[in-house]
Formats: sequence, C-alpha cells, structure tokens
Amino acid sequence: MAKYYMGIDVGSVSTNIVLMDDNNNIHYKKYLRTQGKPIEVLKKGIGEIEDKFDKLEVLGVGVTGSGRYLANIIVGADIVKNEITAHAVAGLNVIPDVRTIIEIGGQDSKIILIRDKIVTDFAMNTVCAAGTGSFLDRQAIRLGVDISDFGKLALQSKNSVRIAGRCAVFAESDMIHKQQLGHKQSDIAKGLCEALVRNYLNNVGKGKEILPPVLFQGGVAANIGIRQAFKEALGMEVHVPENYDVMGAIGAAILAKEEVKKTGRTNFKGTSLHKMDYQVNGFECNGCSNLCEVIEIKEDGKLLARYGDKCGKWSNIINDRDFKLA
Amino acid sequence: MRVKVGIPRGMFYHDYYLLWKRFFDNLEVEVVMSPKTNRDILNTGVQACVDEACLPVKVFHGHVDYLKDKVDYIFIPKFISLYRGEYCCPKHLGLPDMVRHSIDGLPQIIDTEVNLRKSNRRLKKAVLETGRYFTNNPRKILKAFDEAYDKYKQYVRLMWQGVIPIDLVGFYDSQHLKTNENKNSYKKRILLLGHSYNVYDEYINMNLANKLKNRNIKVITTEMIDEEIARYYALKLPKRMFWTHGQRIVGGAFSLIEKKAIDGVIYLSAFGCGLDSVLMDLVERKAKENQIPYTLLTIDEHTGEAGLNTRIEAFIDMLEWRDGDETNFPTHG
Repeated sequence: MAKYYMGIDVGSVSTNIVLMDDNNNIHYKKYLRTQGKPIEVLKKGIGEIEDKFDKLEVLGVGVTGSGRYLANIIVGADIVKNEITAHAVAGLNVIPDVRTIIEIGGQDSKIILIRDKIVTDFAMNTVCAAGTGSFLDRQAIRLGVDISDFGKLALQSKNSVRIAGRCAVFAESDMIHKQQLGHKQSDIAKGLCEALVRNYLNNVGKGKEILPPVLFQGGVAANIGIRQAFKEALGMEVHVPENYDVMGAIGAAILAKEEVKKTGRTNFKGTSLHKMDYQVNGFECNGCSNLCEVIEIKEDGKLLARYGDKCGKWSNIINDRDFKLA
Repeated sequence: MRVKVGIPRGMFYHDYYLLWKRFFDNLEVEVVMSPKTNRDILNTGVQACVDEACLPVKVFHGHVDYLKDKVDYIFIPKFISLYRGEYCCPKHLGLPDMVRHSIDGLPQIIDTEVNLRKSNRRLKKAVLETGRYFTNNPRKILKAFDEAYDKYKQYVRLMWQGVIPIDLVGFYDSQHLKTNENKNSYKKRILLLGHSYNVYDEYINMNLANKLKNRNIKVITTEMIDEEIARYYALKLPKRMFWTHGQRIVGGAFSLIEKKAIDGVIYLSAFGCGLDSVLMDLVERKAKENQIPYTLLTIDEHTGEAGLNTRIEAFIDMLEWRDGDETNFPTHG
C-alpha cells in the first residue's frame, strides 16, 4: 500500500494537490484552476486521487494558500501554514543553499530571502495585484495570445517595446498605443515580460539583496519570457524547479510530515470526503452595525464551520456545540 | 437641555479624545461620540469623501455623517502645527474644509485653528476660541482646559511608562495594564508603527493588535514611546523631520531599534499616505542596518482578511525561525 503525505495549496487562481513519500519525492501532482470555487475544486482533486490509487494511506495533510482555512475545514489538516513559510520550505528542499526565492502567483508576488537556510526577510505585493499572473493573463487576452504561448512569443523578439508596468490599467493603455503604432506582437510581449519583472524588482524586491542561487517558482515561472527577463535584469542564473507550479503544496506536505512525526496521528478525514455534500451559505448578521458577512459550511447537513463575524456570536456557537458533542 | 457637541471617532480622536472630552465636560457641554468604525460608517465615508483621500480621512467623513443630525456642533479642529517649526499632514490642515465641502446638512462646525508653528501662545487662543461657543467667561474656559490638560498629560505619561493606550485596552486583558508586567510571558515584542488613526481603529486594520496579542506577542505602539526620547533619536536624521508625527514615528522606531528592544517592526500604513511613503522607508533602512525584521502592511477598503493574516503569520513564523527554533521547522534542506 502506498503511503503518502498530502500537500494542498488553495490559491486564488489555482488549487494544487501533491502526494509525497517519506523521502520528499513527489508521486502525484495536480494543478487545478480554482475559478472561485475552492470547495468544488478540492473535492474534484481528491476524488481523482481516490480513483487513481486503489490503495492509499494518507499519513498526513498540510494546507496552505489564501484558502487554507477553508481547506482545513473540508479535509481536516494536520498543519495550516501561510504561503511564505510553505514556499521557503519547498525551495530549501530543492536547492538546500538557496538564498533568494522569487514566487509569482495569480494574485500574489513574493520575494523570500534565505540566509543559512533561514528565512531572514520577505516581502509581498501590497493591496494591489499588479505585476502578478493576473496581469499577464489580462494582457495575453488583450493581445489575443494564449497564455501558454506567451513566453515563446516573447522569446522571438529581438527588440522589446517599453511598456509602463506600474499598474495593469496603465500598462493596458500604454500597450494599446504601442499596438496602434504598429509594433510587432512579439516585441510587445517581450516588453510586457520586462515590465512585469521591472515592476516586481522595484516594488516587491525594493531594497532587497538578491543573491544567487535564485529560485523562481509559482505559476508564472512557466512563462519562459519572464524567466528570460529575470535572467537579464538580475544578471544571474534563475533556477526553475521541476515542480515550480506546486511548490506551495510541496512545502505544506513537508510541514505535514514534520507535524505528524511529532503528533503521531493525522486529522485527515479520508479521501472519501469528496463524496460528501458541502453547502456554503452566506448571510449578513444584523446583530449590530458591523453587518458582518457570515459564512457557514455544512457537510451533509451538519454544520462544520462558521466564520466571518467579528464578535464571535456565530463562530462561537458552533464551538460550544462541538464541545458538547465531544 | 444641554448643548451637544459631536466628536467624530476618527483622525486625532485617538490622540486627544481624553483631553477634548474632559474639556467639554468641564464646560458642562454634552459630548456625543460616533460609534466605533463599522461598515455603515465606512460606506458613507467612502461615498461622501473625495476619491483621492486616504482611508482614515474617508472613515472620518463617515463618522461626521453619523453625527450630523444628532448634535448642535461638531468639533473638527484644524490642526496646522503642534510643535514649533513643524507641520501636521496636509489632510489635517484641510480636514474641516474637506468635510464641509463633501457633506450636506451639517450643523455648525467648530474648526478652531491649532497652529503652534511659531509659538505655543497660539494654543491659548485656540482654547478660548473653542470655549466661546459655550460661555463668555474666559477664566472658566482656561480653567476647564488646564484641568483637562493635566489629566491628559497624566495619561500620556502612563503610556510612556509602558501602559497600553486606552484605545487598545479592549484588546488586552486587565493584567496587561500593569506597568511592571513580566516580560518573559511574551514570546516576542513587536513595534506596531503607524498613525494613531490606523493603529487604533480596529475596524480598518482588521483587529491587527488583537491578532498579534492572540499569538502571544507584546505590542508596542508609537504613543508608548516618550516623546522626548523619540525627538532625540529623530535628530539623527541628516535632515530635520518637519512633520510632528514623522518625528514621533521615525524617532520612536529608531530608539527601540537601536536599543534592540524589539524583535520586529510592523509598519501599518493606509494606501496612498504621503507621509508614510517617506517614514516607512526611513524606518525600514534603520531596521535593516540593525538586522531587525521589518514588514509593511498596507490597508485600504479591503475587508477580506486573508491577505493581512498571511502577512502576519509569515512575519511571526520568520521571527521564530530566526531564533533557530528547530522544533517547529524541518532542520534538513
């Protein structure tokens, strides 16, 4: 029977699941688009795992990503970790002496500085999502190019066009003007890659000492145009790990392994959870002027979790009940 | 029936509420405060205010709107300068005018000008001007102010001794009010920097101080640093800082960073803040020189807490990781 640790990363754009053995080898990985339906996608992913492996023992589960709390409620995780820590752990697993990790996802971009195997500094984009995967997605649509061909297109260019990269909206108007002037599509694509990298280095990477080895992970690392632009801008080799797109999930799996070694048991509910029916209900609490948006999740009619209230009026009820049931 | 004065719970409310309340009490004026910021207040504020303003100014508009039908006067002093040769943020300079421009149906606004740039004597003028709305007896006004100011000073000194500011008290258990607390009961000490109206408004900062406290972290705020000490450290800047709040934030941060009295710095800034754009960079550089971890949290109208939580968690993880706390993390690569 296969014994694996499961890592789940529920991000804004993609939900990733990996299965990892005791020696940190990845045996299965799944990259799914979240499309705003994290629970459905999670169920689908776990259902596929159940179909694929007849006999599978999940030794432990770690969850990360912006949807980690939700994922924890659904699957029963052993550890819930933020993306920075998960990415750092996964990056250290690939290159033990890595000193800089560049991670660009759908809505987030981060830089993690590691010295002597310890995270010493990090930064994330602020409230704005410019310079992330969503920015490239939008501009690829505007150019009429499939996002998966975007990088190749950029590599064909010998003469990039300068495009304003501070803001996706600015970039769009600048790009349209350049298109109207008759610039080649490949030149514009390369210009966009450079704009994204410039924006990243000037905002997220501002004042950070980027030292090699550099790892580039996250969904955007698939784009060879961006890889090339980073290489040129930094003047150093930029390594893209084999599982660049699921590094967060790998980090979560490694952290779960550590956690389970300590606790000796897992909270995982079992792969059959994908057959359960989950209902999510949102309502506005009128108890006070805060008008909190409360969310409740039911599993086959049984209340699993409630959150979103500031005062704890709704989220505490369920804790009490759980306590009584126990 | 007593005359009612409304005090909007925003901007300098968090600094001077005790002073103002006491002053008006002494003049036998009824003080009506707007409630803590909530979604209604935020929404009305955002709708009423000009688009380019920062979040706390928008929220302030919401508080004024809440009060406008409930009181005879609204107290919105025009803070130009609080210290010789220094200025407040331009948004403070224009606050009563902005409000007047954007909100209809206001009662009379008491927009006393506080301008101590050239001399502290202007303060007396401002006090008298404010009091005259309620009494013609200047001695009574000055007495009311002196008593209130004494009380206010006592409170400020308590904060300098390490007492958590009153706006944060709700976040803390009563034991945290004691000054001689056991420092070892905290895992980490974090300096939560930023303007009072961001740091103490638990709605717009999504309960940040409480989130830190729940992780067993001692929160220190700018107001808890002795102003004289902050000013001394602010002198180390190559150029004199001409914003009073810049003096406090940068000087306060420098003092704790240089003394290595904190484990990390979190700078809380409202998106688009002009002062912060300078201050946070100065603090970040100083923190880096002294190898104290620093992070920036930007707030705007967002109410989704996922982004803020991730950043706090990652920051605290990093502080612990740096300790070489190997029980929590894999030791191998």
